Amino acid sequence: MSKVIEVMFKNLSRITIFSGGFGSGKTELTINFALALHEQGKKVRVVDLDIINPYFRTRAVRERLLNRGVEVISPEGKLAGADVPALNPAVWSVLQEHSAEYGVFDAGGGDIGSIILGRFKKYLLPGGYNLFLVVNTCRPYTRDPAGIISMLQSIEKAAGVKVTGLVSNPNLGLETTVETIRNGHRVIVETAARLGLPVVFLGVREELAGDVGIVDVPVLPLKLFMRMPWHDNHNEKTEGLH
Amino acid sequence: MSRVLMKGNEAIGEGAVQAGCRYFFGYPITPQSELTHYLAKRLPEVGGLYMQAESEVASINMVYGAAGAGARVMTSSSGPGISLMQEGISYLAGAELPCVIVNMMRGGPGLGNIAPSQSDYFQATRGGGHGDYRTITLAPNSVQEIIDMMKKAFDLADKYRNPVILMADGVMGQMMEPVDLDDEAPAPEVVSKTWAADGMKGRGHKNIINSLYVVPEELERHNRELGRKYAEIEAREVMLEEYRLDGAEVALVAFGTTSRVCRAVVERARSRGIPAGLIRPIALWPFPYDFIAAVAAGVKCFLVVEMNMGQMVEDVQMAVKGLVPVHFYGRCGGMVPAAGDVLKEVETIWRGGGEQK
Repeated sequence: MSKVIEVMFKNLSRITIFSGGFGSGKTELTINFALALHEQGKKVRVVDLDIINPYFRTRAVRERLLNRGVEVISPEGKLAGADVPALNPAVWSVLQEHSAEYGVFDAGGGDIGSIILGRFKKYLLPGGYNLFLVVNTCRPYTRDPAGIISMLQSIEKAAGVKVTGLVSNPNLGLETTVETIRNGHRVIVETAARLGLPVVFLGVREELAGDVGIVDVPVLPLKLFMRMPWHDNHNEKTEGLH
Repeated sequence: MSRVLMKGNEAIGEGAVQAGCRYFFGYPITPQSELTHYLAKRLPEVGGLYMQAESEVASINMVYGAAGAGARVMTSSSGPGISLMQEGISYLAGAELPCVIVNMMRGGPGLGNIAPSQSDYFQATRGGGHGDYRTITLAPNSVQEIIDMMKKAFDLADKYRNPVILMADGVMGQMMEPVDLDDEAPAPEVVSKTWAADGMKGRGHKNIINSLYVVPEELERHNRELGRKYAEIEAREVMLEEYRLDGAEVALVAFGTTSRVCRAVVERARSRGIPAGLIRPIALWPFPYDFIAAVAAGVKCFLVVEMNMGQMVEDVQMAVKGLVPVHFYGRCGGMVPAAGDVLKEVETIWRGGGEQK
């Protein structure tokens, strides 16, 4: 674990929520952030709050995370794959916990996916939580500062909770290059400055993390968990699909 | 031109906008809801109209109205919703109205589940509703292909005055891949539709949109005319992709999501010394019977891989005509075939085993 990552976790609130547009990378970032926190020796639980999209959710890699020592709170049994907005009551135990345990929350995409945060508003008091907006500048509608700001405003309005920082995640999937990251990150830094918010960290696929050469923010190397059925290292149990 | 990371569902929406479609009528259903979210935002930006109807039945009839007025129009749904639309689709085919209908398939029958499936193949390629008709059916297998295919879908619909179905599943809809996107949406295509009910405009006769023919002789004439049109589509619009068929002795056949899996299987089989190749029908109707018949003359056997209990395999059998064995590997209920499992099947067949359909 590099020093920069320790910086990222310094003074971290007990509750961290990842929000952002559909497909901004919230789930991968939630998983990697939680694992990095776990590797720092912290007790971490991940909460899957995605009630709007039945595919590629944190619950799909629940067992793999549990094997690494991180529990995922998501609907149990049949409800895990049902197209209903179900929550596991254990969500409240993470919010109400007063010990040193950390909760990392994965909200659904866009304003629609963030509505659910309003339900927990009374636990999300200023200074007591972090709500990060994950931004990928290669996604439609968050390609420039105006788009990112409009996404942030719609999410804050739906959630009733303020965003506390941006997470830079510029990528074109498997086609991502160092240039893709540098160009996108520049736009995100500019937007954050306009908003008066910090860029909390930059997510970079682990293969590229060493080459990206960005030093203004901590870099979190990402191990991708969601795989397609035709990828060589796909867990043969159709992970991510339901 | 920009490189953008898109979900398949969004790409369907953007592809439609790029193809000049400005009207969408639909009703939400998993796993295609991002498509409606995207168009609800995108269509008003380009002067278009997005409307969430009160039901799928209403949606398809709104499509009928817009298509009858000459507009490029689309709707989308998943299995249960597409079933509700069948009456309207039959009317659209009967009245010869162009439109694009997207089916992001999910597990069935009945309510089934929301996981990926390819079990609406029969419904799409055999008509689906009542009466003698066909719908051109296209099955993309990448996000870039979705963008390009939307234009093709609208062009084919207009050219033949016929509904076109774009068929995929939740994997295609939810997966994200980079695509090339024009930065400006092109102006809506002005396709001359002399038959459209869009005002008299000095015309001497009324254009009437209709599928009612009370005189049997007239309906028979109409049916024969439609039949002639379908024969023309069958002759001209077969679309397929072949992959490593040179020297292939085991020919895999798969469409959409499973074709991506099978491509990986072909690679792995070849690296183990099994001469495998892949035929991917891009159009499911018209189906590439002639091409498959020609391949049958040079291979030892076929393996059809689908996410259903065996539907397209019947078309492959019709093409192969018993010349060589046709094997089938299917997963259903939302299970996606894993490349490793299909590879095992290829190895079993290669050693002389395997179940024939």
